[in-house]
This record gives sequence, C-alpha cells and structure tokens, in this order.
Amino acid sequence: MTTTAEEQLQRPPAEVRYAEELAALRAEDRDHRPPGWELSLRAARRFIVGDEAAGVARKFVGDPALVERALVTLATNRGLLLVGEPGTAKSLLSELIAAAVSGTSRLTVQGGAATTEDQIKYSWNYALLVSEGPSPRSLVPAPMLRGMAEGRLVRFEEITRCPLEVQDSLLSLLSERVVAIPELEGPEGMVFAKQGFNVIATANTRDRGVNEMSAALKRRFNFETVFPIPDLGTELALVEAESGHLLRRSGVTAAPDRDLLEVLVTTFRELRAGEGGDRPSAVLSTAEAVSVAHAVGLRGWYLRGEAGNAADLVASLAGTAAKDSPEDLARLRRYLEQRVARRRGPHWRAVHDARHLLAG
Amino acid sequence: MPAVFLGVRHHSPACARLVAETVRRLRPGYVLVEGPADLNGRLDELALGHELPIAVFSHYRDAERTATTWAPLCDYSPEWVALREGRSVGAEVLFVDLPSWHPAFELRANRYADAEARYAEATARLCERFGTGSVDALWDGLFEVAPADGLAERLDAYFDLVRGESEADEGDRAREAYMADWVRAVLAEAEAEAGTGAGVGTDAGAGTDAATVLVVTGGFHTPALRALAARPAPTPGRPALPVPPPGAVSGSYLVPYSFRQLDAFAGYQSGMPSPAYYQRLWEDGPEAAADHLRQSVVTRLRARRHPVSTADLVAAAALTGGLAALRGHPVPARTDVLDGLAGALVKDDLTQPLPWSERAPLAPGSHPVVVEMVAACGGARTGRLHPDTPAPPLVHDAAARLAAIGAAGSRPLTCDLTTEEGLTASRTLHRLRLLGVPGRHRTAGPAHGADPVTTERWEAGPEAGRDAALIEAGAYGATLDEAAATVLAERARTTGPTDTELAALLFDTVLCGATDLTDRLLGTLAATLARHPDPGALGAVLATALGLWRHDRVYGAARSPLLAAVLDGAVARVLWLVEGAHGRSGADPARLAALAAVRDTLRHAPDLLTVTTADTAALALRIARDPHAPADLRGAAHGLRLTLTAGGDPDPGPEPGLASAARRAAGDPGTLGDWLGGLFALAREEVTADTGDGSLLAAVDAVLAELTDAEFLIALPALRQAFAWFPPRERERIARRLIERRGLRGSARGLLRTTADPVHLAAARALEENVTALLDRHGLRTAR
Repeated sequence: MTTTAEEQLQRPPAEVRYAEELAALRAEDRDHRPPGWELSLRAARRFIVGDEAAGVARKFVGDPALVERALVTLATNRGLLLVGEPGTAKSLLSELIAAAVSGTSRLTVQGGAATTEDQIKYSWNYALLVSEGPSPRSLVPAPMLRGMAEGRLVRFEEITRCPLEVQDSLLSLLSERVVAIPELEGPEGMVFAKQGFNVIATANTRDRGVNEMSAALKRRFNFETVFPIPDLGTELALVEAESGHLLRRSGVTAAPDRDLLEVLVTTFRELRAGEGGDRPSAVLSTAEAVSVAHAVGLRGWYLRGEAGNAADLVASLAGTAAKDSPEDLARLRRYLEQRVARRRGPHWRAVHDARHLLAG
Repeated sequence: MPAVFLGVRHHSPACARLVAETVRRLRPGYVLVEGPADLNGRLDELALGHELPIAVFSHYRDAERTATTWAPLCDYSPEWVALREGRSVGAEVLFVDLPSWHPAFELRANRYADAEARYAEATARLCERFGTGSVDALWDGLFEVAPADGLAERLDAYFDLVRGESEADEGDRAREAYMADWVRAVLAEAEAEAGTGAGVGTDAGAGTDAATVLVVTGGFHTPALRALAARPAPTPGRPALPVPPPGAVSGSYLVPYSFRQLDAFAGYQSGMPSPAYYQRLWEDGPEAAADHLRQSVVTRLRARRHPVSTADLVAAAALTGGLAALRGHPVPARTDVLDGLAGALVKDDLTQPLPWSERAPLAPGSHPVVVEMVAACGGARTGRLHPDTPAPPLVHDAAARLAAIGAAGSRPLTCDLTTEEGLTASRTLHRLRLLGVPGRHRTAGPAHGADPVTTERWEAGPEAGRDAALIEAGAYGATLDEAAATVLAERARTTGPTDTELAALLFDTVLCGATDLTDRLLGTLAATLARHPDPGALGAVLATALGLWRHDRVYGAARSPLLAAVLDGAVARVLWLVEGAHGRSGADPARLAALAAVRDTLRHAPDLLTVTTADTAALALRIARDPHAPADLRGAAHGLRLTLTAGGDPDPGPEPGLASAARRAAGDPGTLGDWLGGLFALAREEVTADTGDGSLLAAVDAVLAELTDAEFLIALPALRQAFAWFPPRERERIARRLIERRGLRGSARGLLRTTADPVHLAAARALEENVTALLDRHGLRTAR
C-alpha cells in the first residue's frame, strides 16, 4: 500500500479531504452558478450541511439558515464577517465555504498584531526588484491580490486582531474591487477583481475591543454570529463521537461513559452561558469538551483499565475550564459546590462527591 | 361516499384558503371541525360578528387539579374558515374534539398548538429531511408562499411524514378515538340521508350534497383518523359528550384575544408565530405581506432613530431575493425577509440566535434591530367581541363577590384583616386591582409584608369601563382568584431585576391570597429568583418571605408552599451570588442583611431548603478564606460559620480562630471595620459570648493598640459603623470587659459617652450636611 504526500499530512485542507464529494457535487450540479463560482449555491449548501440521500456528510453542525445567509452574502457585493465565541467552528465554516465556492481554502490571511498591508495585498521579491525594477515578475502577490486576479474567495482569519489601519486597507478593495500597484505602469498597475472574488473574515468576540472595527469597514461586511451548538443532544453526540475517535487513536478500547459525558457537556454549557457578565474567561467550546473527555478516558484507561469516572472528570476539569485563572477556578468550584449539589442523578452525585479533587 | 379528510396546520392562511375552496367546491352536508364538542349547542355565539382574534376560553377545577385552556381563532384560522364557510353553504358544522376540561388536555394551555411540537423526534426528522433549521421556515416554503395547485396532496404527504411511525401520547390517542367516533356516526347519518334522498340539492348552485362529510382537523391527527374511521363503529349513533366528574366546575366562553397573546405561547404550546405577518398574507398574499413586513421593520427602526441607509436596504433586498432563490421559494417567505434584514442591518455580534430560527422567545438584551423585527411580525391587533356575546364567567364572578362583600355601592369600605370577612373583602378588591379593573382604590393599609397595619380602607372611584376591563380580563381565568394568579404568573415572568418589583410582586401574591394557587406562578417565580442579580434585594425578599412563612396569621400565608419555594430559591441564589462577589468595596448593609436572612432561614426552616447547613458552613469557610472576597463578606462568612457550627462543629478541620482572622483582616486598616461589620451583622451574640485572652475582643484591642494614628484615622469610620450593629446595652458590656481586660477601673457607660462639647458636635454635623448637600447639588457624591 502506498501513501501519497497528502495522506501523511496531519490535517489536509478541506478541498483535499472532501475532494471526492466536491467532484461528485460538481458533476451533478444542474443549478445556476453565480459567476466565478465552482458550485451553485444549493450544491455548496449541501456540501456544508450535508445531504444523507446523496451521501454527503454533514460537516458543520449548526443552523442551516446561517449557512444559507452566508452563501448568499458572498454572492452579493458585501463581504462576510463570521463573529462568535472562540471554538464555535467559524474557521471551519469559512474553510468549507471557500473550498466549495472557489475550490481552494488556501488563500488565507492570518490576522494578528504583526499583520501588515503587504501580507494582505502584495510585496516584492527584492532581489528581482533591484535587478529588474518593478515588474510583474518581481511582484509577490499576497492572498487578496491573488483572490482578486483569480476570482476566488479569500479568507481573513481573526481580522479584529489586526491594527485598525491594516484592517482599513480592505476598504477600497471591498468597495472599488480594485487594487492599484503604483509601482507598475500601464494596465498592470491596476488589478481588478474578477467575478467570484469576495472576502470571508472571522472575528472572535473575545478579541473585540482589542482592535475594534471602523464603521466604514463594518458597512462593507454582513455580520453573521456563529453560536455554540444550541441543543444538548447534538453537542453530546458530537463530543461522544469525536472523543471516541480520539480515544481509539490513543489505544483506548473502552468507550466513554455517556452519562458522564452528559454531565461534562451540561457543565460546559451552563458555565459558558454564565449570567450577568459572569462568564469564565477560559474558552468552554465543544472542542474543549472533547479534549476533557479524551483526558478522562486516558486517565481511566491507563491508570485503572476502565472508561474513566467522575473523579477523573473533576481532576481533568481544572486544566481546561480554569486554565491559569484563579477566578475561573473559583467559578468552577462554586459551580461544583452549589449547582451540582442541586442536581439529581448518580453521576451528578459522584461529581459532587469528588469536588475536593479540583486542584488549586 | 367516504369522508373527505383535510389535515391542516392551525393558524395557517394557506390551509384556511384550501378549506374555503374545498367547502365551496364540495358543498358538503356536514363539516366536522377540531374544536371542543361541548360548544356545539352554542356555535351561534361564534357567528355573532366578532372582530378577531378571539379565543374560546375553557376552565376546569376539581379537587385535584385546575386547568385553563385557550383555543385562539383569527381570521385566517382554518377552523374559523371551516365554520364560516360551512354555515354559509348550509352544512351542519360540528365541533368533534374532546372538551377542553378533559384530561387529554392536561398541561396544554393552547388547544391549537402544533401537535408535532410535542414530539421532538417528529420535528427533528422533518428538519433533517428537508435540511432546514426550523419547522416554521420549512412550512412557509412548502405551503404559504408556494403556488396553490397540488396543495392538498403536498399537505397529505407532509403530515404523513410528520406522523411517521411515531406513537401518539395517551391524550392524543383519546382525542383521535373520540374524533373518529364522530366521523363514523356522521358518515352513517349522511349515508342514510343520501339513501332517502333527503337534503340532496336538486340544482348544483344551491343546497348541499348531504352525503359528503368534510373533516377539518390538525394534520398530525389526519393519518390516524383515516385509519380509525375505516373501522366499524363499536356503538351506533353520535358519541356522547363526556361528562365532567361530579363536583368539578367547568365551562367554556368566548373572550377577546390579541396578537400579542397569540404570539406569546412558547415551546410545546406554540403554534404559528408572527400573527401580523400572516394576517397580511391572508388578506393580500405573500408578496404584499413581505413588502409590508419590510416596510414596517424599517419604519419602526427609523422611528427609534436607528440608522437604516438605502444601501442597507438594497443589500437586504438582495439577500432576501438570493435566499428565496436558494431555498426554492417563488416569493420571499417570512424568514427570507427577516434573514435578509438581519444580515444587512445587524452590525454587531448577537447574544442569542435569531429568534425565528429556533422558536425561542426574545431574551432580554436582544439586539434592537431584532427586537423591532419581532415586534413588526407580531403586531398589536386585539379582538373585540360582539356586544351580544354572553359575558365570560369572570364578569359574573366579580359582580357576585363585590355584592357579597358589600362593595357594590360607593361608600368607603374598611376591611379588618384579622377577621374572615375583612380578609375576604380585601382579597377580592386586591384581585380586581391587580386585573386593572377600575373602581375601588386603596387609601390606607399595610405597605409591605412586615407592616403591622391590619386594616385597609378602600374608596370608591369612577367605574367607567369596568365591564370592558372584566371581559378583557376574562381571558385570564373564570374566577377572580384564577385570573389574579394568571396575571401574577405573567408579571413574575416579565419582572425586571429590580428589588421593589420582585418584593412587590410577592406581597401582591400574599395580598391576593394566591399563595397556594398555581404551579405556573410557582414555576415562574422560582425562575425569576434564579436569575436575580442583586443579593441585597433578594435578602429583603427572603426576610419578608421567612417572616410570613413563620408567623403570618393575618393573610393565612404561614407554611404556604409558595413561600417555601421562594425561601429555597432565594437562599440558593444569595449563596450563589455572594460566593461570586469579588473585589474591594465598602460594607454593603443590604448584602449583609441578606446573609443574615439566609442564616435565619437555615435556623428556622432547614427542612425547606435543598442546601444543608453543613454545605453552607463549608461555603462560608471558603468565602472567609478567599482573599479576593470583599472584607465585609469575609467577616460575614466568618460569622455565618460561627453561628452555623455553634451547636457542634460538623467539620473540626483547620478552624481559623477569630482572633487570628481579625489580625489578618487588620493587615489593612481600611478593611478592618468592614470585616468586623460583616462579622457582627451575622454573629453578634457569638462574638460577645466569646471571652478570655484568645477572644475577638482581645485581638481587636491588641490590633488597634498597634495601629499608628494615621492608620487609626483610616480605620475609624468603618469601625464605628461596625460597632453600630450592637445595641447600647451590649456596647456597654463590651466597654466593661475592655476596662477589665486593661485592668482599669471606671464606668463603662462613661467610656461610651462622648467627651466633646455638644455644641462642637452639632456644628460639625451641620458642616457635614452642608458639604453633602453641596456635593449632591453638583452630582459629585459617589454612590455607596
């Protein structure tokens, strides 16, 4: 058996992971496609929210109406800004959309404090620049420029982590749909966006306030808030499936205890919901719940040869639900002491009894 | 000819249109409608010419349970249209469902709720099959905005899928069996008539086809009804009306209803949302409804000075059009318009998913754009009954009770609350006040739960509009006490997180004698307590409730389950809040009083509480040791632990001695007084009983002696405040012990007496007041 280079990757991009599904959808797609799109809106929607009858797996667990709004927005002349708590699968959604619409999710700008304008638009190969002067050959296009020239979606991750002035370099690009390269002469000095170009940005509600967005830029985006999974059952099923998968890869054969997982997911959901601004600063996402479930399974299996119990859960909680914040630890302790005590059921009882194991 | 079954969704304009069209086409001899069969003798009342929406309100009470149910009807209700059109073609229209008092309707406030909402599996299956997030969006796309041809077949397919293999619950099975009995009986009659030729119209334009029976019921029931009706009838003849058990009181009446009430059903009770939109859709079609919705949202937003630019509207229209196309709607549906507007107008992150995507009521703090959108969908229309409609029972009940207490005239009425009659009169008048019925108003009486006043005086006022108000309030209950309980429950649900509102609500509950009334009130009150943000306010409620629960003989609220639930909820919430309080702040007497109320509740009513004394003592220890907790709370927690463990320490673990704790608190002279204040507020007696060298007094004395003058001045105001918790006699005792400890002689009272010249003190006080007034005038005083 041979393995290709792609199979050895830790995490191949969406268009590679789901290449077969995308090809099948493209082949069957009879609906109108927006200019520059690889799939019609309906096919793209089916790719993301799944279609059991057609054998397309569900990849994004969330409100299908949100996916529909996102896709339609991208077909208009406004950009799409996905906002939400960390760990709500914003980046996954943007990756899936880009893979479906443009066939690639690799035109990505990763926002951060050190992001500069030339990482967004273009920079130069200085050796060539010095020897040949400014020319298309010495130009190094950044994702935005490539997306415009090729007519593809560009992802801008964590846009609010960029300084305001860097964010605002998107303004003319989004409204005029053109980038001027003053160093180049003639028609090459202006790069016009081809049909199919648009921007999907993601922003984290925890980072807002670090670098707010200007009203002018806000106006050019449609906002979509991505929420944590709304119902307990779906989130529990997802945590069970994902943690089971991780545990099997870690060589654990005992399946996680569903009742205990329910306690874990409920705890995360209630802490996450908080009240009156009293929310933990740690991120209590579904992904974090999966990693706690993984840790619980590992502890139980390698310490005692079983699936993991309430004591393992309490011991694993401190590291994720509280991280390094004493306030979060106090919140967690208060929850275990007071809320859990009012719950009925043997597993809640067991967690309450094990509350003294909370480190710190 | 077999019966024609028409499965509908309640409050669906598309279904209403289909019903009207079917009745006109078939001209059936009989139209059977899902509605309370006990109303069959009174269908003329429905046809009087009301302004819709109205509701059939049913009430029931026996020894075990009370129940109230509404069957709301609006212009576009298929049931309403079936009734109207059926009568206009001369058919016999019959309601064929069980009466609302029947146990099959237990816990159902809305007869016309979507049955499938009770079966989570059915709705999940639907959404999964069609790949939508909500049944409402799916329904709009499939039926409301879709072309009318083939509608009946699509409805059948849809409801077959909804019902699937799922087994209905007992209540639904009983209803289906009863409805099937009716269908069989009426079919037999129709066949007999057709055989004799009676009633068959000779020309197609007039008369009816007596052999045709049209059955209009909720689509969830249709597949089951078809199967049941095909079986042979167990007994011939129309089914008998079930009779309520002996001793039970029940009845059904028409009451005016409103779009707001129609839209407010949540969860299992909800039917189709957004009545204003569907009214428009029924009147003018989907395109006009979408336009009107868009306009009304924009008008509302601009009236509230929320910027809505033309560019935004263009973007919203583009989104709406795109969404409609993507979802396969020929005309934009409700969610397409709402989604489009939300996408283009909301420029922030939301705190809650869009309410139309998940059948959830609007949460407090929702985005203003979303609030206006939901309001525009809901509308404000209220129905009005025709003047000849028999008045709801509440009107008669109120009149009878007013006459019984002698309040019919205009003489002022004095109620002595200690007598049975006085209390009854007071309750009646308070219930009327709560329902907003004009008439008498109270000019004197107890103002709160601990007010020792036991007489009330009620003056007569203008009575104009009293009957109208009572008819309107008739929708809340059949009797004054029921209606008052419903209103109280509604108020509990909507009450804001301010102290006066919650305490006032509780007091109104006591005044109305509603403390042992309904589960609904109990549930909403508990939920309100559970999200209350202010421990001080909760403490006030807790103290009042505890007092009433223990001692109240006047209102008869002692040992009432409602107060018991309030006590448990408030204690849990206060403890939750104080453990979460962090940071530095001055002593907060309200917060300390709340902890004292918790202590009293633990002492006097431990059996009511979920939390145990041992748990609370452990919690107190955590707070007492928490360096981030405010000083007054740390002291109070210390005191709480002292009082709780006074009868034997349940946890003889590492106990922080009072003296050492005081020394630690004194590390910062600014907080020593606050710490002591908290301690004294909770454990005054324990502290004064504690003597000897290791006592708190000794420790505080030692600490104070070590303070520098500057530190002492910083500590002084809070220290004075702390010792103000002691009455003068106890302060004297402390002073005496201090003198003994120091080995001095002299009068303890003399030590407490000030030595300064009273004139100076008066002058200082005047100056201080002056400064305060000046600061207040310029708004410079910090709130404490």
